[in-house]
Amino acid sequence: MQMEAKQGWLASRVPGLGCACGLMREARPPGQPWFNALPVLLGVLLAVLLASGAVVTVYYNPWHAYDSLQGIAREVRGGWVVLGYHQIGASLAFALLYLHLFRTLLTGGYRAPAEFAWMLWVKLLAVLLLTGWLGFVLNGGAGGYWSLMNAGNAAVRLNGFPGAVAMWFLGGPPGGSTFARLLVLHVLLALCAVLVIWMACAAAKKARPMPQGRAVPFWPVYASQYFAALAALALVFALLLGFAPHWGLGGQNAIPAGDMAVPVAISYPWYLTPAAGLAGAFHGVAGHIWAVIAAALLLYALPWLDRSRRHRPGRLYRAFIWLLGLDVLALGVVTAFPMGSLLPALFTFWFFFHFLVLTPLVTMLEAV
Amino acid sequence: MMRRFFAPLLAAGLLAGVAAHAEDTLSPLRFQSSGAFGSIDLAAAQRGFAVYQGACASCHGMNGLHYRDLEALGLTPEQVAGIAGSVKLADGSAATPDSRFKQPALVNMGGAVPPDLSTIVAQRPGGTRYIYDFLTGFGPAPAGMKLLPGHNYNAAFPGGQVSMPAVLRDNAVTYADGTKATTAQEAADVAEFLTWASEPNLSARHAVGLRAVIFFAFLTIVAVLTKRRIWRQEG
Repeated sequence: MQMEAKQGWLASRVPGLGCACGLMREARPPGQPWFNALPVLLGVLLAVLLASGAVVTVYYNPWHAYDSLQGIAREVRGGWVVLGYHQIGASLAFALLYLHLFRTLLTGGYRAPAEFAWMLWVKLLAVLLLTGWLGFVLNGGAGGYWSLMNAGNAAVRLNGFPGAVAMWFLGGPPGGSTFARLLVLHVLLALCAVLVIWMACAAAKKARPMPQGRAVPFWPVYASQYFAALAALALVFALLLGFAPHWGLGGQNAIPAGDMAVPVAISYPWYLTPAAGLAGAFHGVAGHIWAVIAAALLLYALPWLDRSRRHRPGRLYRAFIWLLGLDVLALGVVTAFPMGSLLPALFTFWFFFHFLVLTPLVTMLEAV
Repeated sequence: MMRRFFAPLLAAGLLAGVAAHAEDTLSPLRFQSSGAFGSIDLAAAQRGFAVYQGACASCHGMNGLHYRDLEALGLTPEQVAGIAGSVKLADGSAATPDSRFKQPALVNMGGAVPPDLSTIVAQRPGGTRYIYDFLTGFGPAPAGMKLLPGHNYNAAFPGGQVSMPAVLRDNAVTYADGTKATTAQEAADVAEFLTWASEPNLSARHAVGLRAVIFFAFLTIVAVLTKRRIWRQEG
């Protein structure tokens, strides 16, 4: 009784505390699946990324990017662990976000009234992709450096407003101070990602219907579920950190950047490969940029491309979502291990075909 | 008390380990650092450093390392000071343990620049094995293959020809621990040394990783069981 009075006293004065206490007492419908913990796990990973990123930034030198990271791994006490946290945290954050987006597609979780939450999750993907690319470049390895060179050359060639934005972003052709600029953007975008995930969770909560019938409290029912999910995530994290710290990160960044080390094809970290494949399937600078923007816009517009009025998608639609998931996976694979230009074009075509033709058609059929 | 009792035993064991000849890891070839539970073979890495210093260092730098880092291979500070003191830097002064590995004068091998070896194992696919295959891959070019001027045949190098000549030969160095310095032994030892140089934390990473995995595996099991119990009661 006295405890609750104290909590009330604090909660009425400290902003955010009432929210946290409310979360603990909040009633939810029973029997929610494990997948509902994904946003919370994603938030925890973002916190890990911010904390490890703060340590790395302290020792990072934009003018000697590769050497300073080597210094962190070799000279800073525990530096190699912190670098590992950052690399594997990024990898797992993308894995969870892709999984969450796929599941939202599969369950029709983007449909009314959750359109706004869906758009924020897509925005989080866009922000994280850009942050991830900046991190890839900031490594100072050969792969990231030549990716930056391509971006810089593209920026120089663009005219008008897009050119002005690109020049502002990169500060002209790549040089020493470009990395300092990109570091600031990397940190700013990471903070933006925290804001976006918070807004997405708030929007998703607003879209969730009030529990009908029996409700269970968050503590201890869902707290125990989230804790178990977190423990499993930590297990995967430890496995990767201990035994596969460089898995899927593209080997080229182990080579220091330099004009003598020119990759035949840039090997991106696995989480950038679908976007890179999508961009690479179109010709010219404008083609690369518009392809990615168009893909993002299609994802944004999905709640309106979907003509169904039911909440749960039908069997045919779900089969096509599975196909889309495999398509994006395959696009990433053929980008990581190039095998001609036909397959990326085919998979990119299917991506656009799915959203522009199949989605309206199939959902209209199922709505009948 | 326990430490006082065990320390001499431990020291004796270490000395015996160092004095003994290297066990045969060449046929079949295996590296202690390979695999999920691999750790750096410190004796091999020490011999590998001797090979690097004797055969590689005149052309290849290792800018990422300081001489003091060699203490991680089991050398004493006095031994490290001795090694550093015997290195003449470009300005004529002797190196100290806090100096970076000496940067060799730039040599031009017909347009090719000898790469820095600090992270070479991480840079090449199958790094450790590749270094061994490369260093033992020199030989006469197969019939019909035309070498570029100033190039040597190497079976492991992409394209089959490389500017670097074969530098390792039998007894190119004399090992302090009495191991027979065959070309294959030298190549394997320097491969282990370069593996350590690329990832000095490899042994620690595997050890910490294993402990963390065991801990979190148990934690996951307990957490899932707790969740199921709570859900049976309240869910």
